[in-house]
Order: sequence, then C-alpha cells, then structure tokens
Amino acid sequence: MAYLERSSPTLKETLLKIYRAEKPIEIDQHFYEFGSIQYHIKCSVLDTNIVYVSTSTLLETQGIVTSKEILSATYEVIKNIAVGVIDIVDPPRLGFQLTLKLHLDNIPRGKEAIKIITRISEIQAIILSSQLKEMLKRLNFQDDSQAMNNNNRPVRIVYHPSEPFYVFRQAEKITAVFPMNFKDNSDVVIAMSFFQELVEVGSQKEMGKAPQCSWSPVPPFQLRGEPVHDLTTNAGFVSFDITSRHVEGKRLDKTVWNLLNFYAYVKYHIKCTRGYIQRRMRKRMDSLVKQRLNNTRFEEESPQKENGACKYVKELVKVQKGKLMMQQRCKDMTRRVKISKFRIRINGCARFRFNQRWISIPKFSSKSSK
Amino acid sequence: MFQANPLRLYLACIRNTLEAAMCLQNFPCQEVERHNKPEVELKTSPELLLNPVLICRNEAEKCLIETSINSLRISLKVKQADELENILTKKFLRFLSMRAEAFQVLRRKPVQGYDISFLITNYHCEEMQKQKLIDFIIQFMEAKKEISELKISVNTRGRLVATEFLKQFM
Repeated sequence: MAYLERSSPTLKETLLKIYRAEKPIEIDQHFYEFGSIQYHIKCSVLDTNIVYVSTSTLLETQGIVTSKEILSATYEVIKNIAVGVIDIVDPPRLGFQLTLKLHLDNIPRGKEAIKIITRISEIQAIILSSQLKEMLKRLNFQDDSQAMNNNNRPVRIVYHPSEPFYVFRQAEKITAVFPMNFKDNSDVVIAMSFFQELVEVGSQKEMGKAPQCSWSPVPPFQLRGEPVHDLTTNAGFVSFDITSRHVEGKRLDKTVWNLLNFYAYVKYHIKCTRGYIQRRMRKRMDSLVKQRLNNTRFEEESPQKENGACKYVKELVKVQKGKLMMQQRCKDMTRRVKISKFRIRINGCARFRFNQRWISIPKFSSKSSK
Repeated sequence: MFQANPLRLYLACIRNTLEAAMCLQNFPCQEVERHNKPEVELKTSPELLLNPVLICRNEAEKCLIETSINSLRISLKVKQADELENILTKKFLRFLSMRAEAFQVLRRKPVQGYDISFLITNYHCEEMQKQKLIDFIIQFMEAKKEISELKISVNTRGRLVATEFLKQFM
C-alpha cells in the first residue's frame, strides 16, 4: 500500500518507459514500496516484447482463511485486465508470490495502452483486496448459527508489519477493528483529535450511509485471547461496522480499499497536519520578528548607518524620481552636513576628544528615553 | 466583554510592573574583572537583586518578573486546557525559543516551571524604546490566542479529512 492510489507509480513508469522505448533496452530491476511490497521487472534485449513482472507482499491472515497463497479467483481477475497481454507464470520466480509475463506487442496503441499499463500496475491492490473481499463476502453470507459455530473468532489480517487489524462477524454486521500505535507523543494527540472528529462526523445524519465508526481505549471483548503485543496500543482502537449494504456490488471494492488504506490515511493526515502547524508557526514568527524590528528600534537609527559612510554617498548620488522624494533627500543631506560640520577635530588635541563636556555641541539627534 | 476584562486587568498589572522594573543601568560584574554579566541570571550578589514579582491570573497562567540592577527576566506560563493545546504550546514556544537570536530579548531556554522566558539587559534598553519593548512582551501574552486558533484549525482539518474518508464509503 505505497500510496492511496491503487497503481504503483514506479511500476507504471517503468512499464511505460519500456513500452515507449524506441530502441530495445535491458532492464533487471528490484524495487520496494512502502511496507513490505516488492517488485522485480525483467526485460531482455533479445526479446523486447516480453516483460516479466514479479511481485510479493506480506500476506498473512489467521482465522478463517489461513492460506498465504493468492486465490484462484484473483488469477482470473488479473488475466482479465487485458486478455492476450498477461500470462501467469507457474511456478512464480523464486522469492515472489506472482510472476506475470506481459506481451507488449498485444497491447493496443494509443490511450488504451496507458489504461492497460495503469491497470497492470494495480496488481498489488488487486491481490491485497481480493482476500479481504472473499472474507467479507463469506462473513456476510454466513448465518448467525454458522457464526456461533465458529465462535465468532476474529480474523487477524497483516498487510504491513506491526499493523495488524481484525475482522469479525456480529449480529447483522461485520466489525473491522484497528489497533492504533504511534511512535511520537504528538502524533498520538493529533490522531486522537482526528478519531474524535471521525466519530462525531460518522454519527451525523448526512453520513448515515457510511459505516458506523467508534473509538475505545480498550480492545473489544471479541479480541480476548489475541496476542498481547498486538493489543498494546497508545492511541486506542478504531472500529468500523460494515453492513451488508457496504459489501454489495461495486461498493465492496471501495469498502475493501478504504479499510486496507486506513492506517496509511491516518499517517498521511498526521504528517500533513504537522507540516501545516510548522508553516503557521513560521509565518507567525516572521510577523513577530518584523514587528520587533520595525517598532522597537529608535526612529533615527537606520540600518544603512551600520554599513559605513560610503553608503551615504551612494544614496546622495542616486537620482530620485518625484519632487517629494527630492525634497526629503535634500533635508536629509542638510542634516548630515550639519552633523559632520560640528565634529571639531584639532590636531594635537586628541586627549581632549574623549572628554568633550567643556565643548557644548548642539544635539540634532535626540533619543527620547521616557 | 466581561471575559476580556480579567485579561485586560492581568495585562495592565504586568505592564505597570514592567514599567517600574525596566530601569536598568550598566553595572560591571563584581566577581570577575572586566566582565559585564546579567546579574539576574548569576544571582551571586543579593544586594544587586530586587524582590521577584509573581503575577497570577489563575493557577495555570502566571508571570514571574525578576529584576536586578542591569537585567530583567520575565517568565510566562500559558494556560493549556487539553493535550492538544499542550503539545501546540510546547511546539510553538519551543520553535520561537530556538530562534531566539531573531528576537534578541528572548531566552533560548525557559525558566523551569514556565513556558517562555525573556532576558532584557541594559543594552537592550539603550538600543530599543522601552514602551515598545513592553508592548512586544505584552503581545507574547496573546500567544494563547494564536494557540487557540491553531487548535481550531487542526480540528477543522481533522473534520474535513474525516468527512472525505467516510464519503468514500457512500
């Protein structure tokens, strides 16, 4: 789950590069995406129309579905992305769960090619979603008696290390529980305020069609017996109640994708909030500094004085536009000439310079200290 | 209007105290030759220190003004209603303190038990206008307003994001 988008940006970019290349190119690349997803792309100069794409993910569930393998229904979905373009290689490349053989010459030209390549880049999303889809469908069609027989055992799903979540069936609904953990204390606080808003928004009338959302500091009693390290959290437990309405038809795909991306969504929101706070603080600091520089200094002191006398000369020589500015400049010049005239320096009387009290010098710059 | 009055009284009290306390003069260090140190920080010579003044608006908001012959230290404690205000206050005031050189009169580390501290020396009084300096410090008292606005913005953002997330299910 690299991004909140379904397609992997790196995979898409690489496939487009191979597809659009005028000369045959040799590619043998491994890359990893956020979480535990890895890809391998291989393209040989000898056979430029064939590209091998292998992928692997942490796909671990405990409960009803204990398999780590990809479901056969998923293979059909992947093949149907582009008929004639995708072949599934059996067995997959060593270390990977799935290897696809892509026939680039069978991809239709034009905009359709980009659509197909984009859909091929979504294979990870398809694999990860398919298992949860099957699970939700099975739980949805399960009778209450069957659920009792299974003792309503929760299914533990791990798509990212240290971020498991649980799904279990209750009367007329399926509940997905997310134990939330954050490293930083400020992240915990921001997340808690977000969860509060989530619960409040979810309880509004306008959001009646969305799954009911709740937060609790302690795990639900259905999770008793689960590993303690999974249930140890610092930001509580967020639960979503999925009804049959949310798993029917096209909504199933959206529901599954939103649930799979919940952790990523929360982390992204916290990151953006921290950036926003930083920007606000910086802006406020700049305004305070400007205010201090403009207001607290005495008026006669100009920053140009610190740079030396030659700056005065440059300022005098500069041609100023406008009569008013000219008048202002003349006044300034007259004042400075008066000041410089009265700095009396007599050769040989240096010892008297430090004690000038016996010479009364008219003051032109008055520093008013009240 | 009624709620603004206690704040105005609090600020007026601090302003009057600062006006009285900000009478600083140059005083070389008595301990070390040719050194000139802010006596309020060293506190080695009790005869050079005045009695500190603590102005409390309530238990959570207070201002400590410590004066000496050549320097003045002002420490502020800002009210924090909840965890979010707590972290926002800490972040914001720490952000300012770390950039203390831009403000000159700001102390890099606040005095223990307070959120932000200022150190004003006689040199600052010579370079800057006293009234404007007091106005600047009083303005910092209104950091609470900035933090409240930040808190509201964070909550508003959270609400918008939550709405967008739940809309995806519909």
